[in-house]
Amino acid sequence: MNNDMENNNVSIPKTSTALAALFRADLATTISNRRSVMISLVVPLIILATWKPVIKFAGGPFVLATAIAIGLIAIGLMGYTLSVARDRDKGIFQRLRVAPVPTWAIMVSRIAIQLALIMVLTLFVFIVGYQYDGILLSTKGYIFTFFVAILGGAVYLSLGQLIVGLIKNFETINATTRITYFLFIMVGMIGDLAKFSQQLKDIIKFSPYGSVKIMLAGSMEPANWTNQTSIAVLVSLGYIVIFAGIGISKFKWSTK
Amino acid sequence: MTIEQDKYILKVEGLAVSYGSFEAVKDVGFSVLQGEIFGLLGPNGAGKTSTLSSIEGLVKFKNGNITLNGFDVQRQPLEAKASMGVQLQSTSFQAELNVIQILQLYAGIYGVPMDKEHIKAILKEIGMEDAGKKKFSQLSGGQQQRLSLVISTIHNPKLVLLDEPTTGLDPQSRRQLWERIEAIKARGHAVLLTTHSMEEAEAVCDRIAIIDHGRVIAIDTPHALVEKHRNDPEVIAVSRRGKITLEDVFIGLTGKTVRA
Repeated sequence: MNNDMENNNVSIPKTSTALAALFRADLATTISNRRSVMISLVVPLIILATWKPVIKFAGGPFVLATAIAIGLIAIGLMGYTLSVARDRDKGIFQRLRVAPVPTWAIMVSRIAIQLALIMVLTLFVFIVGYQYDGILLSTKGYIFTFFVAILGGAVYLSLGQLIVGLIKNFETINATTRITYFLFIMVGMIGDLAKFSQQLKDIIKFSPYGSVKIMLAGSMEPANWTNQTSIAVLVSLGYIVIFAGIGISKFKWSTK
Repeated sequence: MTIEQDKYILKVEGLAVSYGSFEAVKDVGFSVLQGEIFGLLGPNGAGKTSTLSSIEGLVKFKNGNITLNGFDVQRQPLEAKASMGVQLQSTSFQAELNVIQILQLYAGIYGVPMDKEHIKAILKEIGMEDAGKKKFSQLSGGQQQRLSLVISTIHNPKLVLLDEPTTGLDPQSRRQLWERIEAIKARGHAVLLTTHSMEEAEAVCDRIAIIDHGRVIAIDTPHALVEKHRNDPEVIAVSRRGKITLEDVFIGLTGKTVRA
C-alpha cells in the first residue's frame, strides 16, 4: 500500500444486518406483487376443488401431492425466475452489488422468501384438502411432507435458476417460464390419468414434475415409502445439482 | 484549489478491461484527490463506464490496480465498496417499494441506523417530504435522481461515483443536482463523475480526464486544458465562435466522427 494513500478504516455492515434488510425488502416486494402469489395458490385450489372424484380411486395423498407439486412449479418458475429476470433487466441487482454486501446474500434473501412461500402453499393445501375434501394425514405425514415440499421446491427453484442462467432476455424468459409451467400443468393433469405408452409414462414419472410428486405422495404416507419413492428423491437431488450447477455458473448479473 | 496534492482517495493504474476479444479499456490511469470533483469525459464507447464499473467492482479487469481509500478493489471488495457511494447510469430500485422502504433497505445494507426522524430529515433535505409513501415508479425523473443521490451518500462515503447523473434532466433539475454535487464536496467527499456535458464538466469539475479508445488522452483542470490546447490546429479547426471552449478541445482531441 502506498504511504500517501489515505487509509481510513471503514465499518463493513454485518452480513446478518444486510440480509435482514434485503429480506424485508424482498418480502415487501412479494406481498406487493400479489399476482405471482395468487397463481401459486389458485391452480392447487382448482385441483383440490375439482378432483374430488379422483380421491376415490387414486387416494387423498395423490391429490394433495399433485396440488402441492403444481404450486411449487408456480413458485419456482413464475415467482423466483421472473422476479430475478425482471430485477436483472432493470439493473436492480447491479445497484445492490455495488453495496458492501456479499453477492450470495442477495440470492439467499430471495430464496428464503420462496421457501416461506413453499411453507404457506403446503399449509394452504393441507387446510383446504382437509376442509373441502376431508383428506387427513398422520402427524408424521404432515411433518415429513413439509420437508419434502422444500426439497421439491428446490427442484423448481433450480430449474428457474437454469432458465435465468441460460437466457438473458426478459421477454424470452417470460415466454419460456410460461410454456414450461403450462407443460407441467398438462403433465400433472393428464400424465397419470391418460393412456400413454409405458415409455412415456416412465419419462413423466421421473421428470422434474413426476419425481417431485412421487416424493410428496410418499412423504404423506411414510409407512408406505417404497423404492420408487427413494429413487424419486435421488432423481430430484440430481435435478437440483445439475440445474443449479449450470444455472449458477452461467448466471450473469446484468443483461448488458 | 485547496486540495492537498499528496492525498488521493482513488488511484487507478494501468487499467485494462476486455469483453471477449474486445478491449474496452487499454491503459487507463488517474487519481482522485480528497474533496475534489473529478470528471471522466469521453465519446460513446470510449471506456468511461467500463472504468467506472471496474472501480465499483462490477467488472473484473484483466490488468492494472485500483486502490480506493487504501483498499484494493479486487482483493478487499467489501472494504472498498463500504468506502464508496454509487449512482449508476440507469439506477432502478424495486418498483414495488416506496421511498421509505428503499431508504430502509439501503440503510440496512450499508449498516446505517435509521429511525423515523432520520428518514424524515432526509426526505426534507431532498424536498420529498410528501413522497415517502410513493413508489419509486411514481416519482418524477428529478425525484428519482435526488433519491438515488441521497442513497449514494447515506453511509458518508469517502468517494461518490456518479455515472452521467444529469442525463435526461431539465435545466432546473440539472442545476439543482450540480448544487447537490457541490454540497457533497463541501462535506469532504470526493466525487468521480462521468458526463457528456462539457458545460457540466466546466461548472462542477475541479479536474477532468478525457478518455478515448480506452486510454486517457488528457488530464487537467478544465481551464488548464483549454489553455494548453487552444492553439492546436485540430482544436482551432472545430471552434465555432472564435472562442475556444472545452467542447472544442474535447472534439479536437477525440475527433468529429460520431461514435455508436
